[in-house]
Amino acid sequence: MLDTSTQPAGQVTQVTGPSRRTRRRGPKVTDQVPRHLRAHLTAYLMIAPMVVLLGIFVIWPLVYAFYLSFFEMSFYKDAKFVGFDFYQYVLTDPDFYASLWVGLKLAVMVVPTVLVLALLLASFIATLSKRLAAFMKTTVYVPAVVSSVVAAIIFVFIYQDEGVANWFIGLFGHGPVAWLNTAATALPAVAIPAIWLGFGVSTLIMLAGILDIPESYFESARLDGANFWQRTRYITIPSLRNVILFLLVTGLTLTIQEFQLPLVMTNGGPVSATNTPNLYIFNSFRDGTPYATSYSLTAALLLFVVIGTISIIIFRVVSSEKSSDA
Amino acid sequence: MRHRRLRILVASAVAATLALAGCGSSGNSGSSGGKGGTTEITFWQQQFEPYQQKWFKTYVDKFNASQTAVKVKYQVVPGDTWTQKLKAAQAAGTQPDVATTNYGGIPAGVANGQFAELDGLLPGKAWDDIKPNVSGFVKVDGKHYAYPMLVEPSTVLYYRKDLVTAAGLDPNSPPKTWDELLTWAQKLTKGTVKGMSIASVAPDLGWSSWGLQYNACGHLPINDDWSAANAKDPCYAKLFQLYQTLFQKGWIPQQPKVGYADASPYGQGQVAMMADGSWAVGQLKQSFPAMIKNTMVAPFPSVDGDPSKPTATLGGWTLTVDGKSKQKEAAAKFIDYLLAGDPAIMADFFRQSGFSKYTVRTSVDKALASDPAATSDPFMKIISDKVVATGKAEPAYPFDISLAFATAIESVMKGKSDIPSATQKASDAIDRVIKQQHLKGTAPKG
Repeated sequence: MLDTSTQPAGQVTQVTGPSRRTRRRGPKVTDQVPRHLRAHLTAYLMIAPMVVLLGIFVIWPLVYAFYLSFFEMSFYKDAKFVGFDFYQYVLTDPDFYASLWVGLKLAVMVVPTVLVLALLLASFIATLSKRLAAFMKTTVYVPAVVSSVVAAIIFVFIYQDEGVANWFIGLFGHGPVAWLNTAATALPAVAIPAIWLGFGVSTLIMLAGILDIPESYFESARLDGANFWQRTRYITIPSLRNVILFLLVTGLTLTIQEFQLPLVMTNGGPVSATNTPNLYIFNSFRDGTPYATSYSLTAALLLFVVIGTISIIIFRVVSSEKSSDA
Repeated sequence: MRHRRLRILVASAVAATLALAGCGSSGNSGSSGGKGGTTEITFWQQQFEPYQQKWFKTYVDKFNASQTAVKVKYQVVPGDTWTQKLKAAQAAGTQPDVATTNYGGIPAGVANGQFAELDGLLPGKAWDDIKPNVSGFVKVDGKHYAYPMLVEPSTVLYYRKDLVTAAGLDPNSPPKTWDELLTWAQKLTKGTVKGMSIASVAPDLGWSSWGLQYNACGHLPINDDWSAANAKDPCYAKLFQLYQTLFQKGWIPQQPKVGYADASPYGQGQVAMMADGSWAVGQLKQSFPAMIKNTMVAPFPSVDGDPSKPTATLGGWTLTVDGKSKQKEAAAKFIDYLLAGDPAIMADFFRQSGFSKYTVRTSVDKALASDPAATSDPFMKIISDKVVATGKAEPAYPFDISLAFATAIESVMKGKSDIPSATQKASDAIDRVIKQQHLKGTAPKG
């Protein structure tokens, strides 16, 4: 054992390491590492780059953003420490809550619709021949590769006075509806392209889950006389529990944060009816003042907390053996 | 063998991490010294009408060719990404030395230390040339922080002679009051052609209604010293009713395809009248020249027919030098050349604009007075004498306040709430902005 207590301050002790004899006698480095860590060393090393990247690009910015949220930031003057002021400003702003409510309403319109459509379509595709199934898979996936900006522009044209939507209701004798400029219709009008963009990927994920269910389950059910709905209700849905949970959580978190569709289609209007949380934060940030920068940063952090909480609640409510294991 | 594999793995991970980290750290330092003693400065121009980019490029090139001491690196930035890009550059220390800035943004920028004081950097005669009614727009506490380029009134009434005549109205006697305007809008709404176009969404209403707010009440929805909201004043009722009637009667497009600033619906014949800024003249001349001979302009009507009341704010653009620029003298030299020097340069700008914007310099006025194209322009004199003359400066308070009041207008317009509820909500929101942004007593005094 090296005793450095008697050395003068500032003098660095040179550690020469164990002699050849001790090295020969001492335990191997790997022996000092717990067995379970040694067993998974390769795995740890393989995920290490991702952990490092997450640390640099996610964890550190998050921690630093949290630190900055206590300051009124200026790029020209020293930042001014204001404590929890900006948290108070965001949490007492009715517009922040209104935007969360808009995000939740949009999610309620989009996510269940996507899940039901995807389940029905995936169940149908699973019954088709290989060639027809391949055609259908390609067809349903097409919207997923369309840019949401392009989709937004397409739907703006569809909703115009002389667009397809108004032409269709005109067949029933109704006059043109200002779909995107009426508070009651604007959010559903934005939800439709969101559903269109989302159901392709969901269908393919659902289909992969269905194809994983042993065929013998369905054969037994058929022999017992179960029809399509009964097979779906008692075999498909319970077997897809984790897939549905995954789609539910990712769908909710993505839809609440929907940004491009309302930005392009309505810019949050009319009367903030489509002002989703991210759009609200984005527009807050666009003001050039130090206040706006700190306010939007704090609102973004609070949105992170809200969405995290919603995800946790969903995991708790939709209890799942596999999700619990995870 | 196993250890070797692990070392390779670790080395690869570190290399990948460093490579990715390196991706995020690229950038430049903004202004820098050039070759052979040339000082390089960066100039960011917010994107405007196409002719403006052409004009800026032409004169940046001429400036660079005229001397070797300063070289301007010119960049056009789209308006919808301007703030984000500028903020990112400010955070990284790569902000431009010179940038376009609107009048309303100057006081807040000065309070934040964003702009360099220009008094010692530009010659005294440059300031003496600015017209007195604009001089205060670029001053804070008596010091100059920007050099003005132009003014453009935010609200002018455009109408089509042929449709007005066909509707039995006299094109030589345009509406003088808001009630008369509503009558015209009603009579001109026929088939697929709407009576008029005007802003109908909050972000556009926020700035385009400033002049009409002044017109209705003689003030904006905040006290002069920015200490409290003043949005519940009953005099605003007529303003709310104007917008509400136009929208709910269907006399304006129910789903506008473009924003207030864009004159396309009028140019394409979809509306018979248009409320728009003076810049629309330039767009009509460039994109819809056939419409010009059939178009007349008038001051936007006032609430009670009094033509001396403002109906428009005078917005406009300036060039500012960044407070952290290391090349302030070189930046000021460029501004002096472009905006404050030879009057022929700015006269050329106004010629390119189709005389849709207005000079802020006496010497440029003189240069234009000898230009037959300017003196014979059918719109310039009316806008200059009857709109610019009564125009008010744009407010310098944060846009949050304008947006709160505009949201109230939009709520009433679209039947979401009645006037008392909407103005109460706007008043609460404005008071909250005053408190949170510590605005009390900070109104600029010029």
